[in-house]
Amino acid sequence: MRGEHNFMKKTVLHNYLFLCMAVFCLLFTSCGQMEKRKDPISIEEIPAYSGQPYVEIDGNQPDFPEKDKTKKSFEQYSDLDSLGRCGVAYANVGKDLMPTEERGSIGKVRPSGWHTVKYDIVDGKYLYNRCHLIGYQLTAENANEKNLITGTRYMNVDGMLPFENMVADYVKEMGNHVLYRATPIFDGKNLVAKGVQMEGYSVEDEGDGICFNVFVYNVQPGIWIDYATGESKEDSGTGDGGNGVKETPAPDVGSQTGQDGADTETEVVEIRGNKKSKIYHCLGQASYEEMADSDNLVVFRSEQEAQEAGYRKAKR
Amino acid sequence: MIVIVCLDDKKGMMFNYRRQSRDQAVTERIQKICMGKRLWMSPYSDKLYGSLEGMELIVNPDFLSMAGGGDICLVESDSLMPYIEKIEQVIIYRWNRTYPADVYLDLDLSQWERRERHEFPGTSHEKITEEIYERRT
Repeated sequence: MRGEHNFMKKTVLHNYLFLCMAVFCLLFTSCGQMEKRKDPISIEEIPAYSGQPYVEIDGNQPDFPEKDKTKKSFEQYSDLDSLGRCGVAYANVGKDLMPTEERGSIGKVRPSGWHTVKYDIVDGKYLYNRCHLIGYQLTAENANEKNLITGTRYMNVDGMLPFENMVADYVKEMGNHVLYRATPIFDGKNLVAKGVQMEGYSVEDEGDGICFNVFVYNVQPGIWIDYATGESKEDSGTGDGGNGVKETPAPDVGSQTGQDGADTETEVVEIRGNKKSKIYHCLGQASYEEMADSDNLVVFRSEQEAQEAGYRKAKR
Repeated sequence: MIVIVCLDDKKGMMFNYRRQSRDQAVTERIQKICMGKRLWMSPYSDKLYGSLEGMELIVNPDFLSMAGGGDICLVESDSLMPYIEKIEQVIIYRWNRTYPADVYLDLDLSQWERRERHEFPGTSHEKITEEIYERRT
């Protein structure tokens, strides 16, 4: 009886200790899905856009917990919220996370606030890009809806890409890890982010190589954006609404690797190849749409690129 | 004085007190160019380039003032305009990428003549371009 009592006591104690450890683990260690962190920048704290694609925050010093400064690579993406919006994307970027193959299509993902809209004054015409929060060149995340937001061409290419390039080249050169966090900042229930807070910190050399904390503006010079919906118009100063063409029916998909080999997804018409048949399909051809979901899909940026890869054009 | 700089596509050199990028292939090129010569650099540069061998390497915060004719200066963050009259040649390594920047090269290269240009692959950069500029005569 005494033995049974002792056994029960031990079991209760065991369970209690286990519960305490679990709670501790969830609260204070990496067992939790997303790390406890200082709050990201608030809308009120963001300086007004003044012609530069990004602005320093907190003296350019990021805020990463000490326990994450390890040589172990990881990546975490927040679930979409009830409005279908992305949250924090966080990674410890190491060489082992980086891509080993060309990026595929991301055209199927429609991030919150997405509109296909063109303006002549925008480089590449299309106002919005599907912007990776953590660039493909860093963690090889392709069409992950938790990692893609509606971002202007300007934010993507002039704002976010330079930081991705800097981190990618550092990791490739040094073989070190870089803690990297991209936090989209939404105002209230807006579907389009005001911008993205980007933080980076090189682990092995304690920030000697990489250290930044910036806010990148989701703006496009010359274009007015309604962040609640993603609607836009040319901001010509006349207030006449500009000449944006909304929901252009044709090229709703596309991804193009820019000259930096990075995340300059722009809305160009992609060419869809079938790696099994070695036939490629152009927009408007019979099998073009169904190829989007094919396991044999290979995306080219031009017909010439497809032909140089040994593909021939579909007959219909 | 011969100046060596590394630049991104927008003439950027540094961001947040850190060099924008680095590449072992560039370090080896600098080593080759400076062999048997005098190379000046700042204490910041010393951490990355201070182990170069086969040259007289001098580290000094005021290195651009102190360097003499024919000396080579590795410049990562300093303004060159105050020393423009001393500069005989500028050697540029272009990363062919755009990085964040808050320090830029302050030389107007249109006032200089490009004498040489060639490309080579880096260890982490697909293509690095070396350019040599000399004062227009």
